[in-house]
Amino acid sequence: MSALGYVLEHYVVLSALLFTIGAIGFLVRRNVLIQLMSIELMLNAINLLLVAYNRQHGGPMTGQLFAFFIIAVAAAEAAVGLAIILSYYRLKASVHSDEADALKH
Amino acid sequence: MEALVKVFPANDFSLLAVILCLPLIGAFINGVFGKRLGREGVTLMALAAVGGSFLAAVVSFLVLRQAQAGSEQAARLTYVAWDWLSVSGRHDLGSIPIKVAFSLDALNATMCLVVTGVGFLIHLYSTKYMEKDPGYHRFFAYLNLFIFSMLVLILGDSLPILFVGWEGVGLCSYLLIGFWFTDEKNAQAGKKAFIVNRIGDFGLLVAMALFVYHVGALDWIGIEGGRSRLLEPVKLWPIGNVVPLSSALPESAAAWLNTPRYVTAASLVGLALFLGCAGKSAQIPLYVWLPDAMAGPTPVSALIHAATMVTAGVYLVCRLSSVFVLAPAVMFTIALVGALTALLAASIAFAQNDIKKVLAYSTVSQLGYMFLGVGVGAFSAGFFHVVTHAFFKACLFLGAGSVIYAMHKRIHDTDTSQDMRKMGGMKKYMPVTFATFVGAWVAIIGFPGTSGFFSKDEILLKALTSQIQSPLPGGKITQMTRAGEQTVLELWQWPSWGNQVLFAMGVVGAVMTAFYMSRLVFGIFWGDFKGWTIKRKWKAPAHHDHDDHDHPHHHHDPDEPLEGPAPVESPWQMWLPLAVLAALSLGGGFLNAHLLHLHPMDDWLGPVFATAAQNVTAAEGGLSLVLAFGIGAFALGLGAAYWVYRLQGGEPARAFVERMPGLHRWAQDKFYVDEAYDEAVVESAAALADTAAAADKYVVDGIVAKLTSGVVQLAGAGLRFVQTGKVHTYAAVMVVGTAAVGWFLIAPHAQARTVHQSAGQYGVVAAPGFGYQYRWDTDGDGQWDSEEFSSQMQQDVTLGFGENKTLRLQVKNAFGRTAERSITVSRPKLDPTRGPATVIQIEQQPDGTVRGVLPGQQPTGGVQ
Repeated sequence: MSALGYVLEHYVVLSALLFTIGAIGFLVRRNVLIQLMSIELMLNAINLLLVAYNRQHGGPMTGQLFAFFIIAVAAAEAAVGLAIILSYYRLKASVHSDEADALKH
Repeated sequence: MEALVKVFPANDFSLLAVILCLPLIGAFINGVFGKRLGREGVTLMALAAVGGSFLAAVVSFLVLRQAQAGSEQAARLTYVAWDWLSVSGRHDLGSIPIKVAFSLDALNATMCLVVTGVGFLIHLYSTKYMEKDPGYHRFFAYLNLFIFSMLVLILGDSLPILFVGWEGVGLCSYLLIGFWFTDEKNAQAGKKAFIVNRIGDFGLLVAMALFVYHVGALDWIGIEGGRSRLLEPVKLWPIGNVVPLSSALPESAAAWLNTPRYVTAASLVGLALFLGCAGKSAQIPLYVWLPDAMAGPTPVSALIHAATMVTAGVYLVCRLSSVFVLAPAVMFTIALVGALTALLAASIAFAQNDIKKVLAYSTVSQLGYMFLGVGVGAFSAGFFHVVTHAFFKACLFLGAGSVIYAMHKRIHDTDTSQDMRKMGGMKKYMPVTFATFVGAWVAIIGFPGTSGFFSKDEILLKALTSQIQSPLPGGKITQMTRAGEQTVLELWQWPSWGNQVLFAMGVVGAVMTAFYMSRLVFGIFWGDFKGWTIKRKWKAPAHHDHDDHDHPHHHHDPDEPLEGPAPVESPWQMWLPLAVLAALSLGGGFLNAHLLHLHPMDDWLGPVFATAAQNVTAAEGGLSLVLAFGIGAFALGLGAAYWVYRLQGGEPARAFVERMPGLHRWAQDKFYVDEAYDEAVVESAAALADTAAAADKYVVDGIVAKLTSGVVQLAGAGLRFVQTGKVHTYAAVMVVGTAAVGWFLIAPHAQARTVHQSAGQYGVVAAPGFGYQYRWDTDGDGQWDSEEFSSQMQQDVTLGFGENKTLRLQVKNAFGRTAERSITVSRPKLDPTRGPATVIQIEQQPDGTVRGVLPGQQPTGGVQ
């Protein structure tokens, strides 16, 4: 508990909220772009949690480090994901995820 | 010489590697780069490789002679290339290292000279004989590879290395018999040679296994040192202790069936080895491949199927002579099989018209002579015949090749160009071939003074006088049993009539040899030429001027008379080897002319066969009798042939054929042995193959494969519904799965295992978990030992025999949730019938006496 009024529980609750919003967004929405954004939201929820716990427990900066790794992976994922969405749009002229079932047939 | 001995010490004689590697390098370069090298390059490479190998062999021979001089022991030069592998034998014999090692002693040094020397001459001959063949470089690659394999065979220091060479020469033989493989007949002959040889190789493998088991060594020194272990009896029958169902038989028959039958291990090893030798050296019953092997080019017939490879069996018997003499029955079998083969092959040779077929059966027959020699224990006489036979039979085959080469001027069909009815009068046209052929001919029929005379008469003499002693003085092996001392095995004794029978067969064979070889020579060289009408100034049509065998030429209309130029002598590359070999055939006999008290070869080989010679007895005398029979046989055979084919112009032979057409046809068709094998062996193998194919088709493909695919299909049909192909479904399933895993991680799990520490001491250890804390109820009163949770994971329990105890464990995790479990620990009752009853504890009593105490007698149960 620091002078800035740091309370771990607040961060945990915020992170859980963000993660739930992301998960529901991913499940409910059919627009692939929105789904990609939902994934980013979930990843950032986890980042927040990692940083918050690291702050709480101190010691080596493992949590912070992990957050940076996740940001890097998220960037790569966004690049690849957007490229897939682009070529998918060229193929089907739509970004609707329900129509992306070419591998099934 | 001194310098040589210093450079190449006897225990690291690397010159052997040179002898071996040169032909291998030649084979590699000719095989891989031969096409780009061109004919000159290939010729140079092949000749240099074998020639260099020959020179190295000569040097090695001289070094060996130096080492042998003044020593009673057999001198040996060895070279270990690398350690190969090691096999474990019987436990009391330890493990057996197998090294890639080579050694040179008097026996294989001589063989090595023959192989590389005759090999070089035949290489030289082939450069002309195969000149126009499109597969020139392939031919020389195979030929060099053959020389390499043959050298591995004879120089190998142990049975496995010999086996590598043995298989290598078999492979080269196959490749060269089927050299003109576009002709179905040649390919079939190659396959036949290979498959028949495999039957023999099986025997060799069995022999190796028996050596590993009984002797515990595979190298020559080890085998000779441990050969006495081969005299142990081996029970052959009954397998198991009692013949099944024998109780259903009458009592006497059952008793007879159940009587154990033993042989010595030496007999088994000897028979298995001889099976291998019979395959490689074309003896009854495996001789059938050799006559067909004549489908290969003639130099191949001379090198592989006359001079070197087929004598490998004789070499092996000589090499392991110390083992063979332990089994007189096997030795007698070898001698008898050899004599029978000599007679059978000679009788077939009477009726053949293909000159190469005559020579092939003659080879089988002469190999029979060699086995007759080694079979009666005359190893150096048998081996001497190997050497002289290499000279005169190589000369005969190459001479035949020279004649065939001349015939190919106008006749391109393989069968017709080798038919002696188309030849005749060749002595006028081919004087050098004629002279050399006659030189080899007088040697094989045993004209006094030639090499064949000395080697054959030596074998005949030994067949009459020499026999194998029983290896054990008492002649039987006994064993102590409960009923007293019992005779397990009475060793076979050499029969008193054996030598006379073998000698008579040898003499008859010699008469037959003289007859059919003279028939061959008269047919080729005397009389009138019958191949075509000879025209002076005959000009070849443009498309006739090439000479290869591998594509069928336009067949001439048999009615149309063929015209052509007079046959001419072959070029020097062909007659020079002939001349050298003919000189050796005529003069080689003086290496071992016992008649003239001149026997350097016997003295040279003596130390190698010293061990074996202890078991061989040879009666004195008999020399004049053998001489009379030997010269008589030669004179009778030659005289009869001269009368039939020269004086009477073949009339008596024709009359004989007309009188007994069945017998003639029978001999001409080789007594239908091939057909009998077809019916008995090939057909049954084919039937077995058909059965296996049907089983594969209906059982494996029909049931096993269908069943598997059906299960997979069914599972697929079910699982297909789960795979919707929609991202949302997968995402939803993943969320549910993740939630389940999360739930499992959040819930606490009270797990514990029991460990047995020592007698009656048990520990109950709780499983660790994230933020877990524990509390225990160890006394079973329903109350926790302490209300507080702690990090104590383990509780120790002490139990007596047959007791048990129940503990309760409660776990609290980081979220404050708890789980409970009760654990029962029990100790089994003391079971006096189990445990280490043979351990006796020695106790010293206070009064000084010592007594043993069995564990069960101890008052307290602290044993386990």
